[in-house]
Amino acid sequence: MKIIVSIADMKVTKNAEDTLITYSLGSCIGVVIYDPFAGVGGLLHFMLPDSKIDPQKAQKNPWMFADTGIPSLFKEAYKLGAEKERLEVRVMGGSQIMDGSGFFNIGKKNYMALRRIFRTNGVLIRAEDVGGSGNRTVTLEVSSGKVLVKSSGDEVREL
Amino acid sequence: MSLVDKILRKVAQLPPFPVVVQRALQLVANPNSSAQDVVDVIQFDQSITADVLRLCNSAYFSLQRKVNSLREALVLIGFNQLFEIILSRQSSHLFSGPSTGYDLQRGELWRHSVASSLLSGIITKRLGRQPSPVLFTAALLHDIGKVVLSEFVKDYFEEIKKLVQEKSVSFSDAEKEVLGIDHAELGGRITEEWKFPKVIVSSVRYHHAPFSTSDPDETVRLTHLCDVVAMLSGIGGGSDGLFYHSPEEILNHYRLNEEDIERFMIQLEDQFGQVKELLNVT
Ligand SMILES: [Fe+2]
Ligand SMILES: [Fe+2]
Repeated sequence: MKIIVSIADMKVTKNAEDTLITYSLGSCIGVVIYDPFAGVGGLLHFMLPDSKIDPQKAQKNPWMFADTGIPSLFKEAYKLGAEKERLEVRVMGGSQIMDGSGFFNIGKKNYMALRRIFRTNGVLIRAEDVGGSGNRTVTLEVSSGKVLVKSSGDEVREL
Repeated sequence: MSLVDKILRKVAQLPPFPVVVQRALQLVANPNSSAQDVVDVIQFDQSITADVLRLCNSAYFSLQRKVNSLREALVLIGFNQLFEIILSRQSSHLFSGPSTGYDLQRGELWRHSVASSLLSGIITKRLGRQPSPVLFTAALLHDIGKVVLSEFVKDYFEEIKKLVQEKSVSFSDAEKEVLGIDHAELGGRITEEWKFPKVIVSSVRYHHAPFSTSDPDETVRLTHLCDVVAMLSGIGGGSDGLFYHSPEEILNHYRLNEEDIERFMIQLEDQFGQVKELLNVT
């Protein structure tokens, strides 16, 4: 089944027939994790780096922020039998406006926050496609663990 | 016939914009107009009236009692919101089709438009200003040019993409270079054709270059800001991605900082979840 992950949303599954998909990552970031042994896959689409800006919101929807969304993604995958050592982690998104070096750099802040969290927890990134100004659509095929990325106007490619 | 002429011919073929909406806009923008003026204008259009009543009695408003007339609706939800509903309902069909040139599925451009219009309310509130129906309209219609330009963008996509990716030209500049006109300028022509007020026309026309017009009206700058935040959120993002410029002055101009932008995105996500049902965007 095709399962859509919306903005500030997360889904995990161990059903080999599932495909997880998230559309149009602008400055948001998509994190895909996959345990080939357990056949468990997860996709998080977070929007902002830090829940401190609105802790109440984070309680209602932890997937809006990197610092609350990422732990939740891993935890839910563990519940389905995934194990940290086996997880393949891929990161996509974090785009910005063309001259967004100064102000509208939420994409970059999102990526920095994610790197910080991964570093503290010893998580390695297998592959990534971040930055620039493209919109990305990300798909995870649970049966194969294949991750496909389509960036603005480009062909779909495997990451 | 030149390419630009071909494109402009499509503008002339667009259906006219419902006159009721224009009249309602004039009234809502005028502090001296009365509830009766408003009712007089709207009740002529039976389908709009029925639509408003149906929506007022839907779960979205969860009003305590049944609304039977336009006048009651006006009292309960206020003229601003009434106008926003009418405008949105009368515009959605224009935006709802797929825009293949921009790689947008059916409904995506409409989602982007609604997100921008919601941001107009969020941002004006943060700036301590009154809600502005004129800004709401400009934000909702800002990308109307894409509806017409889409098929031409599709035909010339490789050339446009080359300029954007290899020469770091913004998507709208690339449209202009390849097609002779970009979707913002085209949107200006369309809203002009539809007889929208001048400030809405320039807000649409300059939404990717807010400081290149001498129009002093803040609506132009604010429309740009609404669009940028909607793009960052990724709502209805297409093949043009975030390949646009946004001058740094825009935030200094309103004394806003990064955190404000983040809060706008949070509020947008909140509100977007609520209107989805109302506007049938899924
Ligand atoms: Fe635009
Ligand atoms: Fe836009």
